[in-house]
Amino acid sequence: MPALPLRRVVVVAVLVASLPLLLHLPGPVAIGIAVLALLAGASALRRPLPIGLRVLLVLLACGGVLAGFDFRLGRDAGSALLLAMLLLKLAELRDIDDARRLVGFALFAPFAAFLQDQGPLTLALGLLAGAAALFALARLAHTTAEMPTLATECRQLGALVLLGLPLAAAAFWLFPRLPTPLWGLPENAVARTGIGDSMSPGDWIDLMADDSPAFRVRFEGPRPPAEQLYWRGPVLSHFDGRTWRRDPRLAALPPPPLPLPAAPDGGIAYTLTLEPTDRRFVFALESPAGWPPQLQMDGEASLLAREPLRGLAQFQLRALPVQAFQPQLPEPLRRAYLALPPGYNPRTLALAEDWRAETPDARGYITRVLGWFHAEHSYSISAPPLGRHTADGFLFDTREGFCEHFASAFVVLMRGAGLPARVVTGYVGGVRNPIGGHWIVRQMDAHAWAEVWLEGEGWVRVDPTAAVAPERIFDTLEDRGGGGIAAGLQPMFDLGDTLREAWNHFVVQYDALRQVQLLERLGVRNADPLRVGIAFGLAAALALGLSLALLLRREDHERTPLQRAWRAYLRRWARRGFGKHPEESAAAFAARVGRSVPEAAAPLEALVARWNDLHYADAEASAEARAELTRALRQARPPAIGGP
Amino acid sequence: MAAQAGAAGRLDRWLGRLPLLRGRRPEALPVRLDHRRIYVLPTRLGLLVGGVLLAMLLGALNYNNNAGLVLAFLLIAVALNSAVMAHLGLADLRLDALQAEPAHAGGLLSLRLSFDSGRRAREGLWLQNENGGPALLAGPAATRLDAVLALPAVRRGRQPVGRLRLTTTQPLGLVRAWAWIAPDAGMLVYPALETPTPALPGASTPGQGRPRPDRSGEDTHHLRDYRLGDAPRQIAWKASARSGQLRVREYEAGVAQDVQLDWNGLPGLGTEARIRRLAAWVVEAERQGRRSRLVLPSGVLGPGRGATHRHACLQALALLPTTPA
Repeated sequence: MPALPLRRVVVVAVLVASLPLLLHLPGPVAIGIAVLALLAGASALRRPLPIGLRVLLVLLACGGVLAGFDFRLGRDAGSALLLAMLLLKLAELRDIDDARRLVGFALFAPFAAFLQDQGPLTLALGLLAGAAALFALARLAHTTAEMPTLATECRQLGALVLLGLPLAAAAFWLFPRLPTPLWGLPENAVARTGIGDSMSPGDWIDLMADDSPAFRVRFEGPRPPAEQLYWRGPVLSHFDGRTWRRDPRLAALPPPPLPLPAAPDGGIAYTLTLEPTDRRFVFALESPAGWPPQLQMDGEASLLAREPLRGLAQFQLRALPVQAFQPQLPEPLRRAYLALPPGYNPRTLALAEDWRAETPDARGYITRVLGWFHAEHSYSISAPPLGRHTADGFLFDTREGFCEHFASAFVVLMRGAGLPARVVTGYVGGVRNPIGGHWIVRQMDAHAWAEVWLEGEGWVRVDPTAAVAPERIFDTLEDRGGGGIAAGLQPMFDLGDTLREAWNHFVVQYDALRQVQLLERLGVRNADPLRVGIAFGLAAALALGLSLALLLRREDHERTPLQRAWRAYLRRWARRGFGKHPEESAAAFAARVGRSVPEAAAPLEALVARWNDLHYADAEASAEARAELTRALRQARPPAIGGP
Repeated sequence: MAAQAGAAGRLDRWLGRLPLLRGRRPEALPVRLDHRRIYVLPTRLGLLVGGVLLAMLLGALNYNNNAGLVLAFLLIAVALNSAVMAHLGLADLRLDALQAEPAHAGGLLSLRLSFDSGRRAREGLWLQNENGGPALLAGPAATRLDAVLALPAVRRGRQPVGRLRLTTTQPLGLVRAWAWIAPDAGMLVYPALETPTPALPGASTPGQGRPRPDRSGEDTHHLRDYRLGDAPRQIAWKASARSGQLRVREYEAGVAQDVQLDWNGLPGLGTEARIRRLAAWVVEAERQGRRSRLVLPSGVLGPGRGATHRHACLQALALLPTTPA
């Protein structure tokens, strides 16, 4: 087993390396692995665990991780398993080569964390992990029992890293990037929270309390009024009595004709930066009028990315507010948008038939329903659970609920009355960050509303929740802060979010396209991979040359500490007006100074005598004597010289 | 350490097969390590870490994971710098001198090598050759660094120092930098001594061999400076304490009878056996403080006594051809 100080360094390095990944694992798994880490670390410091116990721990860790991920093996479960094995390896450090290999493998852990999150905190922790691993490698590289001090080691390592910065920077900006991935990301079995492709009334309770950002928006021109900020996501057209789902047959249809702006640069231009969702849905401002080729529109006018959004994604989009779209609805589609499962919500359907008979005008019927909602239903985030007949239960019994309840019941009422309708999910509103100037839309802004197809007009958006509690939908910063401490801290949150947005833009979003743009700004036109490669080669050569020059310069300046102290001492005299001439011997210099400044003569001559002895005469002088003179020279200060 | 030495030995043998790296011709001292004679290759740990970094780089490039790229590029740059640092750890080092006290065949030669550390402090350099080491070499800049290499004395005669290898894996253990030095120098190996020590010739007449009593007091010897190889019992401790330097009593006149060590007086023995016996006699005569005269086919040494004479005799025996003419 390696010596205890070395084992300590290895344990610290491995624990630090596992920290960024640990913070991104789900709670129970993270706690389990943290316990495992402490156990393995303690065992590494004391004595190796017996083989039986180790095998047991391996089985336990595998089982625990798999159970924590519901036995679905995906990217997250994979990284958790890797982390657990890495930590368990701590419990069997047989020799120093084992320790070195472990530290080398530990470098994977921060990278696994980066696959989940690339925020500044994770990157900082990851870089810290890298530094800890390098420190451990440096410690393990010493082949003698005698180690340099911590400070010396850190200084040498710091120099190594600083000298590496130019090359790392050149590589980061100019190393040829892949415009398209060679292989896909490992599938993640457990989706992140957020809006999905199904919805049943009441299942968004957690989402409505989640204040993590869903996406950020930067408008290029003036932004539309708040009540038009509907960010359209998946459209749910299939109802099984309890759950609304996206209908794959409807979605597979060609995109409906949407009104386009008169000029190609008309409409509302904005940049959408979506947080990773592991899903393909893009939440675009209604109604989408222009989108990049990575996106496509489905048959229900929702925008989808071609690949699941596993990392932060940024798109340039255009929107054009319209009253209605798709005035023609073929009969099969019409039937699909009227379908209701038999045997559900009898009371609601009876009511819909009655009212439709009384108000044949579609708009009049909608107004009547919304009026009823407004008069007899209330908005509540803590709605009681509903039975088999969700719409009946909500409309006639509980009479309180939030957007899911309202949208679901409303669409049932519409379909029951022979009006084609569907549920649309997405987000509404957003909060402007006064510092960054961008808009942030959070998970709690998730919303469900309805679209009704009206003869001669097309699909028209109807938001039944807005009829009841418009303030709960279009709330802004002022309503949400709630006053008190939270309001006082708001500028700080704003600043933090602004920094995060800048980080996303400048660091996380840097890719092949931006690389080409960067080179164009540097004067390289039509940068194909070859030219990017050449640019990288030149920059790397320059950076390496710079590092090498600095290294060699350091070498040139690296005299013994004694020589450095002596020179520094002479410089202090030179600042007092007594520079030693190059041709002058140290003794002659001391004599000259002594004549002018008699009170300094004795200490100066003593130092000079010792310097001459140690530096010129006594090649075999002990290290202590040198160190002592070095210290004396460093502390020696020429007296202040005043007067004539 | 043992595992490392074993791995280094394997590497050494393997590299020795490459024509490019095969030993240079022996060269005169001083030898300065310039960039043309320093080689750098990754260690096994370096290959492993390189694999990890390559995987990280590919993964990060594929997913355009900028955080991963920052980490990967930074670590790669540091690893490259560590290779430069390993190179600089050897560069500019100068081997000024080497010397070894003779040892008997079968014993250990301690080869003392004296380096000038040059412009930078040296840390964790290991010195070895095919037969011995490693010995640590470390110290501050602009000083003399000494390393002592314990080498087995294989057989009598002049044993070449051979190729010396200076290695370092500092600062991170990811790369190994090494340089070969083949100094044009040999180490003298005395013949092995016959054991048990045979009785000196002529000792069968005890009356003759008895030492004469030394009655001449202090005048019969003078003091000289200590030389390596002097027996501790010869040291004049009081005089040494007065002068601050080790002083050794040297007897001006013999106090025991001379002994004749004759090559031709041992007809029954083979060449090497004769050499071993004569060497043992030389040492034994010296131990008893008796003057000896060594008669060899190549000539006659002595009669004489003292370290110089002993060395001359053993050297003559060491350098005898294996089949005397």
